[in-house]
Amino acid sequence: MRRPQKPLQALGLILLLSAFVFTAKAPSQSTSKMPEDKRIVHALNRFTFGPRPGDMERVRAMGLDQWFDEQLHPDRINDNAMESRLAPLRTLKMSTREMVENFPPPQVLKAVANGRMTMPRDTAKRAIYESQIARLQQRQEKKQDLSTQEKDQSADSTPGNMDSVSEQARQKHAEAAMYADIDSMQLLQLSPDERYKKILSMYPDERLDLARRYRGPKMLDLVNGMKPEQQETIEAIINPQIVIGGELSEAKLLRAIYSERQLQEVMTDFWYNHFNVYIGKGPDRYMITAYERDVIRPHALGKFRDLLVATAKSPAMLYYLDNWQSVGPDSELAEYGPQRRQFRRGRFGQIRMAPPQKRGKNRPSGLNENYAREIMELHTLGVDGGYTQKDVTELAKVLTGWTIDEPRRGGEFKFNERAHEPGPKYVLGHTIKQHGESEGMEMLEILARHPSTAKFISRKLAMRFVSDDPPQSLVDRMAATFLKKDGDIREVLRTMFKSPEFWSADAYRAKVKTPLEFVASAARASGVQVENALPLVQFVNRMGMPLYGMQPPTGYSMKADAWVNSSALLNRMNFALALGSGRLPGTSLDAQELLHEPAPSSSEAALSALEQNILEGDVSPQTHAVLLKQLNDPKITQHKLDDPPRPPNVGAIAGLIMGSPEFQRR
Amino acid sequence: MSITRRIFLKNGALAIVGTTMVPSFLTRAIYAAGTAAPGKKRLIVLFQWGAADGLNIVVPHGERAYYAMRPSIAIPRQSVIDLDGFFGLHPAMGAFKPLWEQKHLAIVHAAGSPDNTRSHFDAQDYMESGTPGVKATEDGWLNRALAGVNEPGASPFRAVAMGGSVPRTLAGPVPAVAIGDIRGFGVGGGQIASNTFEAMYAQSVDAVLHGTGNETFEAVKMLRAADPEKYTPAPGANYPRGRFGDSLRQVAQLVKANLGVEVAFADIGGWDHHVNEGNVQGQIANITGEFSQAIAALWTDFGDLAEDTVIVTMSEFGRTARENGNRGTDHGHANVMFVLGARVKGGKVYGRWPGLEQEHLYEGRDLALTTDFRQVLGEAVYRHLGNQDLAKVFPGFEKSSGDFLSLLS
Repeated sequence: MRRPQKPLQALGLILLLSAFVFTAKAPSQSTSKMPEDKRIVHALNRFTFGPRPGDMERVRAMGLDQWFDEQLHPDRINDNAMESRLAPLRTLKMSTREMVENFPPPQVLKAVANGRMTMPRDTAKRAIYESQIARLQQRQEKKQDLSTQEKDQSADSTPGNMDSVSEQARQKHAEAAMYADIDSMQLLQLSPDERYKKILSMYPDERLDLARRYRGPKMLDLVNGMKPEQQETIEAIINPQIVIGGELSEAKLLRAIYSERQLQEVMTDFWYNHFNVYIGKGPDRYMITAYERDVIRPHALGKFRDLLVATAKSPAMLYYLDNWQSVGPDSELAEYGPQRRQFRRGRFGQIRMAPPQKRGKNRPSGLNENYAREIMELHTLGVDGGYTQKDVTELAKVLTGWTIDEPRRGGEFKFNERAHEPGPKYVLGHTIKQHGESEGMEMLEILARHPSTAKFISRKLAMRFVSDDPPQSLVDRMAATFLKKDGDIREVLRTMFKSPEFWSADAYRAKVKTPLEFVASAARASGVQVENALPLVQFVNRMGMPLYGMQPPTGYSMKADAWVNSSALLNRMNFALALGSGRLPGTSLDAQELLHEPAPSSSEAALSALEQNILEGDVSPQTHAVLLKQLNDPKITQHKLDDPPRPPNVGAIAGLIMGSPEFQRR
Repeated sequence: MSITRRIFLKNGALAIVGTTMVPSFLTRAIYAAGTAAPGKKRLIVLFQWGAADGLNIVVPHGERAYYAMRPSIAIPRQSVIDLDGFFGLHPAMGAFKPLWEQKHLAIVHAAGSPDNTRSHFDAQDYMESGTPGVKATEDGWLNRALAGVNEPGASPFRAVAMGGSVPRTLAGPVPAVAIGDIRGFGVGGGQIASNTFEAMYAQSVDAVLHGTGNETFEAVKMLRAADPEKYTPAPGANYPRGRFGDSLRQVAQLVKANLGVEVAFADIGGWDHHVNEGNVQGQIANITGEFSQAIAALWTDFGDLAEDTVIVTMSEFGRTARENGNRGTDHGHANVMFVLGARVKGGKVYGRWPGLEQEHLYEGRDLALTTDFRQVLGEAVYRHLGNQDLAKVFPGFEKSSGDFLSLLS
């Protein structure tokens, strides 16, 4: 499978190819074609999260067209290994309702504490609930303490008094912390199973102390060696809010690194970003797992219309862009309030008209244009797609009543006739007759098939797959397919794949990787084994791309300038070094494996092999010279002057290559 | 005192520039130091995430309605730090009192974003982009403000953000450095790895990465040469413990190391007081105390450098005029902004006060807005940073320099 290359040949190839890569960006060559042998590298760079060792050979054996066709049909690709890798992350399969139950938000906890809901019987769940309720109560007590303190102080507020109070509190706190440290040392010495049982048998207050001490990265010590569901329970005890987002982010990285259905994952990332939902907005935290799983991924290579409708009806989007609380100004709900019956029975059975209720102060009673605007601006037509403020307002009326049944308890989409604005609406030159929920469907069909949508989506796809500023000829061709094939995303991608612009020499390695693409591609290129993806997730966050954490609905930029800044670049270099040298927790790298041969004849040979295996040889002569100089530097190869030269540190060199300018592009 | 300091710096600069083989980052640092005198302006932007309760920060204690609407969370008249007989500071903000008396601190009340959204994330986004109501804006107002100021060979520290990433306020074409912790700003794999990366990026023919790589390593070296590890704040600059105090101490560190900082951004969260806001004591007291002490410490720490510095604060929107059923406040509309600087005409509350009687409230519940936040920021950009192309900095904003509050001399 792996074909060791003779170093000299490899070096020759590198020089040859790098000469190509680093002259190819001159504008005079913009129409020149990519060399045949670079086409596979290019396709792997664009349709996957980066080549793995052996990918080139596999695609070559299969034929590039055949491989692309297979990637367009993910259902034909066996991905069982991926599924078993994800099996421990149980929230990935949960419904939103189950998630609310397992990782209770404050509303549910308060309901249980007040007896309005029952405490779960299951020991693990119970432990989560009890800990969180105890936390809520402690907070409450703290507030009460503060307010009694206030009263005491207002009675006798000498500064000296205040100091001695806080001094006592500080001492008490320090003592408690000391004893807690001893307990926690003992806890860590237990076997994982005993540790788990011990934590579950603690009093809620004790568990709270524990939670306080093990927030953040230290939690990994506490759950070390536990079974996945045990780990999940302990994490939920410590902080239920982080479990869902943590598992989803881990899964995103694991899929990017290991899934065989690479194009599907690339497109899932693309569409999630296009139809962005922010994890931090209220109950969206509980909704985005189902959103990505049931709304985005199944339609990632399907019809755009289906994807648009699925997002429009998803609780995640309805909540994120506020449509769930948009109310027609002349609707029944605005007129009469939430009370369902307009007639009430009097004491003796006679029917009386109920007086219209006054508009409550917290009840939504008007249009919310947020979603109506974004669906045209960001999801379909584009900001210059030819719509007016009037269209936004009218579309908002069309979409009134599209809401969520119990948004904080994991409910689903529902159409609320009473919130729907009556009368005809006029959007984008169409007259939409009054017919309730289907008005919205009618408009989504119009938007999905609009020529502006075809252009907007095609341009965005070309920006993801070809270049930051894709040629208009390519965009037009893709848009024509979009319109002809009824928004079939698979066909639009196929048109792109067959276009000369996709294969033009100046598209080769022209795209700067996003942080996700960078981290995933480094993990793929180095063949690292990822046991725990959270440290990788943290690095992606630090590089400025918190997963599911994009607050504005625009999603992340796909252009270079968003990702190239000092702190991000330093983080990329630090990540590359940590990964290469095996210092990244949760990952293990066999550096020698990376050489694809047991013992290179020289350090030059080792370097060439690494350049070939990590970057397909696309290393500039400049970078190669810098690395070579390092390899031969006696300060590095020898401890002391008299020592024999040490063999090169393969992992460190791999890290330097992954942190190089060349590896930042795909 | 500032004169002696400038002469010393100039002489020192000459002495070093006179020798050969001076690394460019050092000469630049020296020039930056030399120009710390008039001409080199700094704007520091502080964001209060979560919608601060402006009515309990700068208290309209002359308003009867204020006390009527806030039976449990109003700040009693006898407790406020009176400013002008009508407004007063929250009693925890004693650190601001001397700045007000020295007329360095100006207040703009009933200010903010005119957009009616009460969503944190939309409102923050609008304020950071500087384009209320327009979501498609890709860059931030502070970056556009710098983009208009010609600066050949700018320092990599021209625009800095304290935190893990560049905030939306600073997003855009002008390079901005995000620094979470000065001590962690560098390559962690030792000097050899750092040098290797530096050489790779210095020699790269990839224009974008070459440029940013050079800026990065120049910044890393400038920072190392400035030796920020040994930083001691000026006497009397007592930063409160916590992230905000740390951020502002690091801003002072960078500015005083003469790294060429022109704009800096820092933020403080924790203002979303829906429940038990408190009054003279409690949540609002704790956070306004931390907020004002940190800013006053920064001011003290700057010493002479404060001369060329303007500090401006903002929050995405204000809170309801009435307290809610949980002794807290809900999302509202207009808010208060602070502007601090040696050339600020301070000691005055700017803006028209709309009043808190029912008929004066915005949508019947919130402090109405009488000053667009862009009027305040625009004046700082125009008069202080010297960028007069306000149409580019705040596209779609119709007010011009004639509509400034004239709070800068």
